[in-house]
Amino acid sequence: MKKKLLITLLILAAFTALYFLREARRMTPGRGAPDSPAVGTNAPEFSVTDSKGKTQSVSQYKGKYVVLEWFNPECPFVKKHYGSGNMQKLQEEFTGKDIVWLTIDSSAPGKQGHLTAEEANEKITKLKMKSTALVLDPDGKTGQTYGAKNTPHMFVINPEGKIIYEGAIDSRNSTSAADIPSSTNYVKVALEESLAGKPVSNPITRPYGCSVKYK
Amino acid sequence: MVSSGMNAGRPARSAFFAAVLLLGLLCTGRAQVYEGRELVQASLLADVNAVVPGKPFTVGLLLHMVPHWHTYWKFPGDAGIPTEIKWNLPPGWKVGEIQWPIPLRLDEPGDIEIYGYHDEVLLLQEVTPPSSLTESAVKLSAEANWLVCEKICIPGSAKLPLELPVAGQNGAANEEIFSRYRRFLPQNWPDPKVAGASWKRNGSELLLSVESAALANYPAAEFFPLPEANVVVGHPKFEKGADGKVTFRVPIETADEKAASLNGIVVFGESANGVARNAWALSKSNAAVSTIGPIESGLAKFLLFGFLGGFILNLMPCVLPVISLKIFGFIQHAGQSRRRILRSGVAFIAGIFAWFIGLALLLILLKSIGREITWAFQFTNPYFVVGMSAVVLVFALNLFGVFEISLPQSANRGLLGWTAQEGDAGSFFQGVFATVLATPCTAPFLGTALGFAFTQSGWMILLMFVAIAAGMSSPYLLLSAQPAWLRLLPKPGAWMERVKQLMGFFLLATLLFLLWVVGAERGVEAIIWTSCFLLALSLACWMKGAFVVPTASFTARIVTIVLMLVLVIGSAWYFIGDKFAATKLAASGPVADGDWQPFTPQRLASELEQGHAVFVDFTAAWCLTCKFNEATVLETSAVRDAFRRHGVVKIKADWTNADPEITKILRQFGRPGVPMYVLYPAGKNAEPFLFPELLTQSMILDKLETIPPNLAPK
Repeated sequence: MKKKLLITLLILAAFTALYFLREARRMTPGRGAPDSPAVGTNAPEFSVTDSKGKTQSVSQYKGKYVVLEWFNPECPFVKKHYGSGNMQKLQEEFTGKDIVWLTIDSSAPGKQGHLTAEEANEKITKLKMKSTALVLDPDGKTGQTYGAKNTPHMFVINPEGKIIYEGAIDSRNSTSAADIPSSTNYVKVALEESLAGKPVSNPITRPYGCSVKYK
Repeated sequence: MVSSGMNAGRPARSAFFAAVLLLGLLCTGRAQVYEGRELVQASLLADVNAVVPGKPFTVGLLLHMVPHWHTYWKFPGDAGIPTEIKWNLPPGWKVGEIQWPIPLRLDEPGDIEIYGYHDEVLLLQEVTPPSSLTESAVKLSAEANWLVCEKICIPGSAKLPLELPVAGQNGAANEEIFSRYRRFLPQNWPDPKVAGASWKRNGSELLLSVESAALANYPAAEFFPLPEANVVVGHPKFEKGADGKVTFRVPIETADEKAASLNGIVVFGESANGVARNAWALSKSNAAVSTIGPIESGLAKFLLFGFLGGFILNLMPCVLPVISLKIFGFIQHAGQSRRRILRSGVAFIAGIFAWFIGLALLLILLKSIGREITWAFQFTNPYFVVGMSAVVLVFALNLFGVFEISLPQSANRGLLGWTAQEGDAGSFFQGVFATVLATPCTAPFLGTALGFAFTQSGWMILLMFVAIAAGMSSPYLLLSAQPAWLRLLPKPGAWMERVKQLMGFFLLATLLFLLWVVGAERGVEAIIWTSCFLLALSLACWMKGAFVVPTASFTARIVTIVLMLVLVIGSAWYFIGDKFAATKLAASGPVADGDWQPFTPQRLASELEQGHAVFVDFTAAWCLTCKFNEATVLETSAVRDAFRRHGVVKIKADWTNADPEITKILRQFGRPGVPMYVLYPAGKNAEPFLFPELLTQSMILDKLETIPPNLAPK
């Protein structure tokens, strides 16, 4: 008798479970998360070739700060920061502090801003770029991994390999170099705070610029 | 400009050409000629033919873009800048905020979404003149700055004049264009009875629920956010619910949990980006906000569900051998003191809890450092599978009687440093072991609940796992606490030895499955090397059973143990550390079978681009539920025929090795792991359909009947 009771209970339990299974399914939240890796998480690895033919990856710089800068030389927002010398100044300042600065061009072939290695090297000379390397990502894989949407879209990775800043270069969404002096440079602030051992006060900002010209 | 203000009757177009003509003379901004075309022609219009002192009127900045180029909305989306108007007004004049017509949502390659305008837009602003004006005509001017983009972006600007006479009375001007664009302005949020809105923050997602039968009736509804400057949002997704309720999910990157609502507009119409669209402006004051996700109501249900799921785990084939041992323990203890039974039961339960809580903490840790967390993720690591194989084999040998794990009393006291309570420690590890073995069996019962829990806070994950552990251990708790119930169990006897051996074969079957997983992950060679290691391990077990016994001399025991260690460590070093490690990742495993195509994001995108309907089977070699679904549903002739008849392209995404591309898609659908089945109907904007974890033939067949035929011949 008691066995029968036990079996009945089991069957009841199974049915209840199925009911909740259905209910639960209805309530399961769906899709859609921001595609950029979240600030505070490990920077996704990439391995790409720079304009000099050297391989650049995140892991090889473990132990150093790494700045990622999405770049398209024809984009007016990028021109704002290169034409004024603002970007080069930042690159010079921080590469001088043993920080790695990777400028990444994810423009697809045939799209605006696409550079061959040779053209890239000409750009480095012409714009007097001071970044560690100009990385070419014509298939957009690295850009997509990071969810880079804009040029310039900036990421700062700390020596532990964690993303500590993601977003805009500075606080003023414009193409006018005249706005630079009155803007807060978020990348500079993030690096200075982190170097001083402080948490980054503004770890996520809304990036601005042209769209990255993916294929 | 002048003409447009003065000649109310003339069509806007000619006003516009006049403006262009003047622009050539007056425009002091950056010339915006690209490949011989003037990309944007800008002018200022007024909706009146004269200024009446103190009486507000509306001005509009008219931007005319060449085809395919766009300027931006107030919130530009993932790129761009909103158009800016800087007025140069005489003292006493006031100008209001820009009123932005409903923009288009435009997609660019690389999952970039922007909000902007094609062809033409009129940005409206209310201007209030001072109550007294002495001059007979006023000259206003504004500097407009915009960014115009197609594949590339070019900033433009213009200094635009607006000249209007001053009069005691005025009439309307440019009526057609102003009324057209006023119709395009978002309306105020309707009465809560018509549309009740509420926001909820759910981790990294904001949920906007709108209860409105009117809205639910439109085929296209979208939410365009207007986030504050410091708030970073992703692309809103639309979900139609039952009973006139629609939900928009807006991913939010801003970690501050106080960011629990957004301003924005809810756009609806017959089609997305269609001409006849309306919008309601949603400001934070229109919507109820709660920072607690929908978990509150679902929490109890989910925990109960976790509890029941945990309970049912006891009956799974992967767990049964261990459980049966425990039951035997109870049977043997039946005559003993109640305290003893309780203690061993509690130790077993502690083992179950330890594993689940440990796993929960690990998951929380991984989540907090931002790793993609997934259920059964440990099975994607081949070394974990090898380790599991070793444990299963050792346990099977133990059941066969090759050696004993818990020796009577003092025998292993010295060896392992355990006290006389080794029975309890044994129970504890039995609990842990039973639970470890249960992992691959959890998907069909707990997948959904865990999927839900993973999107929640750390506390929720922990609670969920505790509920599962409680469910799994509930029978033992009852048996331990109420030994009287033990009478329900059969009497102990020699049959127990036989059942134990039988269970050993169960474990060997589990071992075969694990080896098959190893093979799927690393290829045939990997199976061979794992087996070599397992053979050496068996030998070591036999040595223990034969020589490490209380009757053997101390020296013999020590020598045997040293030899065992050498054997196990040496073979692990050689077969696993060297040979196994050298095996390559199997080339996508068993994916190329039959009419399935291996998954790549590019393939999925290109099939959809070509207008094919696509069914994707997210599977893994170690996923039993997946195999079950494949055998009983996907590979049956009825389902295969239906797929063929509907021209559905079948893609298999093999997650055996935790391919990050596949993990990304699983995450997009909010699933912690496989199995997952998604049907993408043909057609660009068709929403993908997500099937439940446990498939039935009718689910697939019914769904296939509802999808539109392929847009392109296969």
